[in-house]
Parts: sequence; structure tokens; C-alpha cells
Amino acid sequence: MNWLLALPALLLIALVFGWPMLRYGWLSLHASSVLTGLEPVPNQGANWARLLEDPRFWQDALQTLRFGVVSVGLEMVLAFAIALLLDQRWRGRGVVRALTLLPWALPTTMMALGWRWIFNTPYGPLEQLAQAAGLSPLNLLSNPDWTWFAAVMADVWKTTPFVTLLLLAGLQTIPDDLYSAFRLEGGKTRQAITAITLPLLTPYILISLLFRTAQAAGVFDLIQVLTGGGPAGSTESIAQYAYLNAMRFLDFGYSSTVMLAGFLLLSLVIATAALLLQMSRLLRPLKS
Amino acid sequence: MNRSRSLWITLLLVWSLLPMIWQLITSFTSSDALVSTGIPFEHRWTLAHYRDLLSGDPPFWRYLLNSTVVGGLTTVLTLLLAVPAAYGLARMSPTRRSTIRITVGAAALFPYVLLFLALLELAREFQLGNSLLAIALPYAGLALPLALLLLISAFEGLPNDLDDAARLEGLGLLDRLRLVLMPLITPAIASTGILIFLFAWNEYPIALTWLSRDDLLTLPVAMARIAGSSIYAVPYGAYAAATVLGSLPLLALVLLCQRQIVAGLTNGAVKG
Repeated sequence: MNWLLALPALLLIALVFGWPMLRYGWLSLHASSVLTGLEPVPNQGANWARLLEDPRFWQDALQTLRFGVVSVGLEMVLAFAIALLLDQRWRGRGVVRALTLLPWALPTTMMALGWRWIFNTPYGPLEQLAQAAGLSPLNLLSNPDWTWFAAVMADVWKTTPFVTLLLLAGLQTIPDDLYSAFRLEGGKTRQAITAITLPLLTPYILISLLFRTAQAAGVFDLIQVLTGGGPAGSTESIAQYAYLNAMRFLDFGYSSTVMLAGFLLLSLVIATAALLLQMSRLLRPLKS
Repeated sequence: MNRSRSLWITLLLVWSLLPMIWQLITSFTSSDALVSTGIPFEHRWTLAHYRDLLSGDPPFWRYLLNSTVVGGLTTVLTLLLAVPAAYGLARMSPTRRSTIRITVGAAALFPYVLLFLALLELAREFQLGNSLLAIALPYAGLALPLALLLLISAFEGLPNDLDDAARLEGLGLLDRLRLVLMPLITPAIASTGILIFLFAWNEYPIALTWLSRDDLLTLPVAMARIAGSSIYAVPYGAYAAATVLGSLPLLALVLLCQRQIVAGLTNGAVKG
């Protein structure tokens, strides 16, 4: 009976999440493109061989990694500071919390174009400021060395509220007594952060890291609209490359391969992180 | 101490709101003034962007309507599937529950953009493209993992005795759910519903590939289409006006349902 109640939901989940992975597994072992008349023809792992030697895929993988590491890192630091601020009691806190949530609630594509206007050369406000300060043009969206950071900035703006909320929920589970006891013992406020706050917040930090890493690995909407992967492919992500292969080059076999590979790489990153964490936990008793 | 706190709060608000306020200002600035600083202040302003937007073909409110329809349908469908499922799953043995929780949690984490190609194939196979009704299906599937996580922990919070007592009173399964249990987890259902709605309202890659007819586009796709229409000259004024109009419903939603959104996000991630 219990299973019966859950069956429709579980079937739909299996269809939407499970079926694509099976289908990609199969497609990645076939050539299915314009050359084959869009009909799948087995090609003995040629897609995977091509992937291993495809510089564009590996460059995109590195770029996705760079984007993910820097933006998730910045988000964690910023969100921690904001959560500390919102955890204190002051008037108007509720309204401020709601207002800071707005960037997260708006569609990514919508504000991605908003940011494109802000970064615009020469009419955007940042460029105007730089001009007023007598700097040379920033070219934030056309300089391959810097455009990825513009994407990071837009992403940090959008997703920090999500991390902030999770960390704030964690902060609110820490009893005030702990801090007063710490102060009675002569501890300084600053030391309390490393002695009490961070250790007790660890589970919340880990869960936000997990969520944000997975989301950043699949970054698509933001980059598609903000830069289209440019300039010179310097911001293209794995998801975009897969999208291009399917929708522009009509190479479904290779697109499937790219998506599976992207998923495997993400799993590898998460598994390695989990393993390292486990090891550091096992080692800790030895140290003390 | 207090003064430095006000400073930080101000900085936080500026950082969060300034990009949006800039859009607001841009939306009222005439196209000429956007690309020239020489125009005197009193001649810079215009309502033309809004006028163009609302008299366009299709008019802008059409996209808002489409997004609202898709969001509403997805929310209803997901909740119809998720509430009974969560009830059933919450009553299973602890070992089974934790297996389910890990599986469903992994699906909730999955970067779903990677699913678009296989889902598009399904849409073509079963002719589900260009239908606001049909797109609610993949959306419900994508939103279900988070919905299940939230609702399972809500049902787990209810004492088992309650269910047993209702059964002894002779209430059937559906009546127990509808009359006894669901009223008790209304807050969880509300916050789950709002998160599902936001997801469907904002979703991009699936909508991009499933919907192509101009009058069926949802807001995110319509927005991105403006961006792609001409790489060199995006009509930023009209676009900013679109951002403002598109944000208003969400602004209202966030301000009204702040508590539910916060509860949903934190419970979903932390308890799941």
C-alpha cells in the first residue's frame, strides 16, 4: 500500500532522471548526427575516444571548474558574513532578509541580461565609472582574461542568498549560552567564531557546498545569456558545449557523451571531496 | 558597534538591490540618453519602453501569463503526486526511508540541465512540444525530489498514533490524508508549493527546447530571446522595462511568502 502511494511519483522521477542517463549511455556508443542521417549507428566507442582528445571539452571542463571553485568559494565567505549580520537582532531584519532574497528568486536569464547591460562597454555604469576615474576601458565582456570573472560576479550576486539562508538556519541552532559561557571563560568575540561558530556550522557549510558545487557544475542559463560562451570560448561550460553539440551541430551521439562525461567528472569531484573529508575525520582523533 | 552595523546593512542592501534599481532607472531612460551623456537631465526620461513592450506582438503580459500558467500547473501536479507519495514513504521502515532519502537527495542535487536532450527526444516522440500543459510533466518530474524531501520530513514530524486513531475511527486512507494529516502539514505544503512555483517560473533549458512558438514562450525564454536576437545591439531600454515588469510578480511573492520560502529552502537542504 505504501509503495502504491509512492509509485506514480517514483515512476515520474525514474522517467525524468533515470531514462536520460540510460539513453545517453546508449547514444554515446553510437554515431547519431547529420552524417548518419540522424539515425544511430554503433561506432565502437569512437565518441569516447574523440572526447579524450577533444581540447575544447577539456578546456570547458577546466573553465567550469574555475567558475565553480571561485564563485562557490566567494559565495561561502560572503554568505557567512551576511548570515552573521542577519543572525543578530535588529529592527527591520525581516524586511532586509526578504529584500536580499530577491536576486535568488528572479529568473537567471532575466538578470543575466541585466548584468550584460551593467558590464556593457562603453555605456554600462561600471565602464562609465572607470572612465570617470581615468582608467582604460575595462571591456569586461570582451576581454578573454576577465570575462569569466564577470560571470562569477553575476553568479555570486544571484546565489549568495541561497547559501546565506542555509548558514543562517545553522547559526540559529547554536544556543546563545555557549557564547556567554565562552565570554565568561575570558574568550574574545573573534575567537568565538573559530571555537564555536565554525565547528557547529560545519554540517550546514558542507550541505551548502554540496548543493552549490552541483549547481555550478551545470551552469548554463547565466553564461548562455551573459556571454554566450565567449569571448573566444573563454567562458564556455560543459553544459553549453553539450547543448551546442546537440542543437547546433546536431551531433546527438557526441552530445550525449559530453553530458555523461560531465556528470562523471562531477561525481568524481564530489566523491573525492567526501573521501578527503572522511579521512580528515579519521585522522582527527590521532592528532589530539 | 551599532554604527558599523548600519554601514554593513546598507552595503548589503546596495549590493543586493543596486543591479535591479539600475534596471529600473534604465527602463525609464530614452534610448538616446542610454548611449549619450550629452542630453540634459530633464530630457532623459521616457515611458516609450513600456509602451513598446505592452503593444508588442505578442504583448509582454502574454509571457507573464504563460509563466504563471506553467508555474501553477506544475505546482498542482507536483503536489498531487508528492503528498501521497511522501505519506507512503514516511511510513516505511527506517532503513528503507534512508535509502529513498539518499536516492531522492541525489536526484535533487543533479544538474538537471544535462537531461535536456533525452527529454527533448521524448517531447518529439510523444508530440509534447509547444504545449504549456505538457511541459508541466517534465517540470513536475524535476521538482519532485525536492518536494518529496520536504514533505517526507513533514509527515515524519507527525505522531503515528494520530494516523492509527483516525484509522480506528473508520476513516479511509484518502480521508485520513485529506482531513487529518494534510491540515497539520499545511505550512510544509505551502512552502513546498512556492518553491515548485519559483522553479517552474524560472526554468530555462527545458522551456528553451520544448517551446518555440512565439505566443507560448515563458518569461525566461522570452528574455533570453531578446538577448540572442542581435548580439551587437541589445535593446537595453526595452529589455530593462521587461525586467521590471517581470520582477514585479516575484517581488510580491517574495515579500508576501518570505517565511515559507525560507522554511522550504532550509528544510529541503538541511533535513533532506
